[in-house]
Amino acid sequence: MNETSYLLYLISFVLGSVVGLVLSYQKYKSPFAIDKIDVLALIISIIGWFLTLNSPLLTFIPSYISIAIGLFLVAMVLGMRPGYGRYETIIGLLLGGIIWLLRTVAL
Amino acid sequence: MNLMLNILLNVTIAFLLGSLLFGLQRKVMARIQMRPGPPIIQHLLHTLKFYIKESTFPKTAAMPFYIAIASILCVIWVSAVIVGPVAQGSLLLIFAIYALHKIVEHNAGSSSGSPYGKLSCVRAVFSAAAEVPLFAVLIIIYLKTGTMVLSDITAYQAQNGALLFTIPLAALMFFVLILSKAPYSPFAITKGKDIISGYETEHFGLLRGYLMISESIAWYMLLWIFLTVFLGPLSLLGYLVGMVIISVIVAFINATTPMLNPNHSIMVQVTLVFIGIVGSIILLML
Repeated sequence: MNETSYLLYLISFVLGSVVGLVLSYQKYKSPFAIDKIDVLALIISIIGWFLTLNSPLLTFIPSYISIAIGLFLVAMVLGMRPGYGRYETIIGLLLGGIIWLLRTVAL
Repeated sequence: MNLMLNILLNVTIAFLLGSLLFGLQRKVMARIQMRPGPPIIQHLLHTLKFYIKESTFPKTAAMPFYIAIASILCVIWVSAVIVGPVAQGSLLLIFAIYALHKIVEHNAGSSSGSPYGKLSCVRAVFSAAAEVPLFAVLIIIYLKTGTMVLSDITAYQAQNGALLFTIPLAALMFFVLILSKAPYSPFAITKGKDIISGYETEHFGLLRGYLMISESIAWYMLLWIFLTVFLGPLSLLGYLVGMVIISVIVAFINATTPMLNPNHSIMVQVTLVFIGIVGSIILLML
C-alpha cells in the first residue's frame, strides 16, 4: 500500500459514507428503534467486506481498485443514519473475516 | 515523487484521516454512553460545512490578527506534516511546532475579545506549563538513541526493537500529551464546556473551518509521531491500525472521565512529567 492508494481508500471511504448517509436518510424517516436487518444493506456490506479483506482472490482486477470499491460499499452501510447498519456491518465483517482467516491461516 | 505532490498527498491524508479518527472517537464515546452517536464522517462534514457558512467578525476582534491566527495554526501543522512524514526530519522542529501551537492557541483566544476566548487564552498558557514539559520526552529519546532525527530513530528501532518497551514511561508521557489534545479529554481545559468552545468560541465560518482542519492534522501528527518514535518502522497499514487503536483507547478514557479543574489537570500532568522523566532516567541508568 503506497500513499496514493492510501489516499484513494480514504476518499473512497468518505464518499461511501456520504452516499450511505444521504440514501439512508431518504429511506428511513424515523430514528433507529427496531432491531430489523436491512437485506439490501446486508448484501452491500458482505460484498464490501469481502472485497476489502480478500482482494487477492479477485485476480482479474488490481487489488487497489477492489479494495477502494470494497471500502466504498463498507462505508455506505457503516455510514448510514445513526443506529442503522450496525448489524449488517458486523455480519459483513464476520463473513469477510472468516474468508480471510480461511485464506491466510487455514490454507 | 515530486516534493510538492508528496506534501499535498500527505497533508490531504493527514486531514482526512485526522477527521475520521475524531469522528470515530465521538462514535465510540457515544456507544459507551449508550447513544447511537453521530456518523464517523461527522467531524469532516462539520469542517466542510463551515466553508459554506457566512463568516462574521466580532466588533471586539483585534484585526488583522484575529483572521491571521486561524491561518497560522493551519500553516504550522502543515509544516509538521512536512517535517514528519514527508522529510523524516528532526523531532526538535516538531517540538518547536508544538510550542508554537500553544502560542497560537493562546493568541486565538485573546484576539477575539470574547471573555470565553480570554479565559481559554489564560488556560492555554497555564496548560503549556505542563504540556511542553510532556513533550520534553524528547530528552529521554535522545539519551536512549543519541539522535533527534526521525529517520535515525526509526533505524535505531529496526535494529534494537521498539522504544515503547525500553522507555515505557516516556511513551506514557507522550500518550498523556496526546490525550490532552483530544476533544472531551480530562485535560482539555482550553476547550472546557464551562467556557463554551474556549478559544474557538468567536471564530465562525471560514476561520472555524481553518481551525478544524488544523485540529485534524494535529491529531494525525501527534499519533504519527507516537507510532514512529515508540513503535519503530511501520507500514501504512500499521500506522492506520495504530492510530485507530490509540483513538479508541482515548475515546474510552474521555467517555469515562470528567474534565478536570484546570489546577488539577496541570498538577496531574506535571506529576506524570516528573514520574516520567525521573523514572526513565533511573531505568536508563539500571
